[in-house]
Amino acid sequence: MNRPGPDSAQQCEVLGDAAFSTEELARACGVAPDWVHARVEAGVLQVDMASGEWRFDSVTLVRARRIAQLETTFEADPQLAALAADLIEEVTRLRQQLRALGAEER
Amino acid sequence: MEFKDYYKTLGVPRTATADEIKKAYRKLARKHHPDVSKAPGAGDRMAELNEANAVLSAPEKRAAYDTLDSEAHAQAGRDFRPPPNWNAGFEFSDGGVDGTEHSDFFEQLFGHAARAHGGDRGRGAAFDGARATRRGSDHHARIELDILDAYEGAERNIVLRSARLDDHGRVVNEERTLQVRIPKGVHEGQHIRLAGRGGPGIGGAPAGDLLLEVLFKPDARWRAEGRDVYQRVPVAPWEAMLGASIKVRTPGGETEVSVPAGWKAGRKLRLKGRGIPGSRAGDLYLELELTLPPAESDDARAAYAAMARSFPAFDPRHSHGV
Repeated sequence: MNRPGPDSAQQCEVLGDAAFSTEELARACGVAPDWVHARVEAGVLQVDMASGEWRFDSVTLVRARRIAQLETTFEADPQLAALAADLIEEVTRLRQQLRALGAEER
Repeated sequence: MEFKDYYKTLGVPRTATADEIKKAYRKLARKHHPDVSKAPGAGDRMAELNEANAVLSAPEKRAAYDTLDSEAHAQAGRDFRPPPNWNAGFEFSDGGVDGTEHSDFFEQLFGHAARAHGGDRGRGAAFDGARATRRGSDHHARIELDILDAYEGAERNIVLRSARLDDHGRVVNEERTLQVRIPKGVHEGQHIRLAGRGGPGIGGAPAGDLLLEVLFKPDARWRAEGRDVYQRVPVAPWEAMLGASIKVRTPGGETEVSVPAGWKAGRKLRLKGRGIPGSRAGDLYLELELTLPPAESDDARAAYAAMARSFPAFDPRHSHGV
């Protein structure tokens, strides 16, 4: 396996608040766009309609990937997978609060 | 290339039924899921489980794998090369969930075959006669930055591991280091896109992108919530009660702030626009913490004693009802 030195520094694109289209979100999750539509309509994923079309932010991308993974791994009902994702997000938030209080190391 | 014993990975016998494989996979997935397990390497372990499950839960892949598994030289961890036409008569479809990256072993056995069939769950696959084209998959990773990087920008080296097909259709493993210039203003949870740095495209289609999710390293000095930054600032009792102008080293540099007279527990001072920079800059919150000087000398002890005499009616437990 070859391991050359670093390429010249590449400027990257920092994605904004409504960075992802439905197709991009679907591709990131390895699912068809219909899957995204169904999860939005079920209230599982939040959508940004400000531009007149469906757009998704980075937090939703992470959440959608997590839900897709849970559904696939456990053949889970979408609402159950969303509930698990809610709980994971809540645990993450509480751990951050504990760290802020100096009560837990990462 | 090392042979991978997928049955051992899932802890099932070679005679396991599909239901037993599914149960074993789910049990281990629950244990090693990276969102739950805090053990180091949980993500790698989960990737191994996914790979083993992807093969053993698909009848056609499992049947093909079993023919290899019965080869005398196929032992876990041993160097291994599949015999020619080992997969003749088997047809694979790409059942990948999320562009999951598999081991070299998996890629060698199933990756090429799956791609050649253009199998895809409705994702950007296109056909030009008998020749399939498909945009490369996006790769996802996390990058840990310091909060200071968000203020100043940073350069990071990222090691990318990938497999590509050479002109003869063989899998070639590559590892390369990518130097990434991260502009100031990024915040936690945001994504950074490196166009064309994901998986290679098929049939001349463009490569996918590399998407990096930004995380901040824990820092005892400050923490971020979105674009806002929080910093603890110790203050002396006389600064807290009488007010003072104090110097504070913030992520954006040293600054002088005015502490108002009169102490209130949990008091925060907001410095507008001094959080993470950008077109909508966040705010910096200074969380004042009362810090008592140590009573290590006679003079210090005398000062505390004098203070006690000055507040004969003061009962710190009164307001707590204890």
